[in-house]
Amino acid sequence: MRVVLDEGACVGHGRCYAVAPEVYAADDRGHCVVRNAEVPAGLEHQARTGAANCPEGALVIEP
Amino acid sequence: MSPTRPTTTEETSTVQTQPSGLADPADAVHPERRSAMPYLPEVAADPLPFYDRLRSECPIAAVDGIGEGTHIISRYEDVKFALRHPEIFSSDIVAVDIGQDRPLIPLQIDPPEHAKYRRLMDPHLGPKEVATIEDETRALVNDVIDGFIERGSCDFHAEFSVPFPCTVFLTLSGLPLDEVAQFLAWKDAIIRPDVPFGDHAAAAEVRRATGRALYGYFEGVIDDRLANPGDDVISRFVHGEIDGRRLSREEILDICYLFILGGLDTVTSTLDCSIAYLAQHPERRRALAEQPELVPAAVEELLRLHTPVMQILRVVATEHEMRGVTMRPGDTVMLMLGAADTDPDEFGPTANEADFSRDANRHFAFGGGPHRCLGSHLARMELRVALEELHRRIPDYELRPGTRLSYSPGIRELAELPLVFSPGTREGTGPQEAPA
Repeated sequence: MRVVLDEGACVGHGRCYAVAPEVYAADDRGHCVVRNAEVPAGLEHQARTGAANCPEGALVIEP
Repeated sequence: MSPTRPTTTEETSTVQTQPSGLADPADAVHPERRSAMPYLPEVAADPLPFYDRLRSECPIAAVDGIGEGTHIISRYEDVKFALRHPEIFSSDIVAVDIGQDRPLIPLQIDPPEHAKYRRLMDPHLGPKEVATIEDETRALVNDVIDGFIERGSCDFHAEFSVPFPCTVFLTLSGLPLDEVAQFLAWKDAIIRPDVPFGDHAAAAEVRRATGRALYGYFEGVIDDRLANPGDDVISRFVHGEIDGRRLSREEILDICYLFILGGLDTVTSTLDCSIAYLAQHPERRRALAEQPELVPAAVEELLRLHTPVMQILRVVATEHEMRGVTMRPGDTVMLMLGAADTDPDEFGPTANEADFSRDANRHFAFGGGPHRCLGSHLARMELRVALEELHRRIPDYELRPGTRLSYSPGIRELAELPLVFSPGTREGTGPQEAPA
């Protein structure tokens, strides 16, 4: 599973790293940083939850 | 952070509108003439029936009484589109006149210029910076609770919702806590001018005069920060750079004008709405008291369901058609965030209920798109810490019997929020409450 971040769409709501801190992190501005584009085994649910909570739809999960 | 707790002023509860006598908030929507009137106390008190009818029967409505050239957008999908297309729905100065001389920064600057200011400002209110003041914010919450916990009753609005976020904000900004009454009076004169309902000229005059006072005050603050730089957020703006240059005095003033309005109002209204709801829904209140790990999700769900900033304004920059309605350049657009945040097309059949286990909560209580609320990280931390400490120390509060809550329209702040609860004990060493 991969996570793809559309950096142009991220505006720093910060929902992804709040609900899925092992998959997503914040930069200094509060915008999303994907820790590993290849989602480590066992974190698939977190990755999906983080993406599903982005109000901008900036995170896409690819199988 | 100083534990000093500012006192509040009566001005914080002035409300611009008067009850209109509406029996049902949904009656403020008029599908037959495709218009609606959101600025009513009855709507602010119970907006869900209003939002439901607006979305289902009149998704693009004119503002009742103004009509031509105004458009209320209420469906989640449409609000999302508008938030993400500032080139069509501009946030320019003509969208909101609140007594300012120039566009407020960064709200009334559109992309691409907007990004330069946000790049400078975002880190000072970003999650990492906010995390550094969490411990002192928690200590402050407990100090504020100490002020009333032994009494077994309080006006939560005046004794918590106002002083707590104002103290956090003024401390962060390096502004004097003992002048909080003046700041609140200015803020309320701009957001809720105390004039007869519908007297727009009088409201504009109050805002203009208050704007003079605000600019004058911040001229002095900027002089001080130039001479005596500190680590407060205003100092950082004064000494910050964009494109390799320092900000001009006007730019800093335009930042401060908006900064103080944003910093002193919206967490107060969010606390009012959230605690009023929990006081009337004991099973939800008990869940937070028994399972503090639910608090972060509860903060989001209460933000969504109550969306304290009911709507935000934009101005049409280029002609656009939405659901068969043509919006022309210069038209005013009201994005009804509260209606979007309770749209069943996005949030399902439980859209009008608080569900602390909702899987996906993509609400727009802090707006969205490039103008996402600059203070959202600070606000979320304040709300989380407040709900955690409140429910740890006062798990059993309810409304004082016979209370009728009065919400201000636009930004849903309560005039008062009388609570009763089992008295508890003080934890801090601050001054005792003065005997009555």
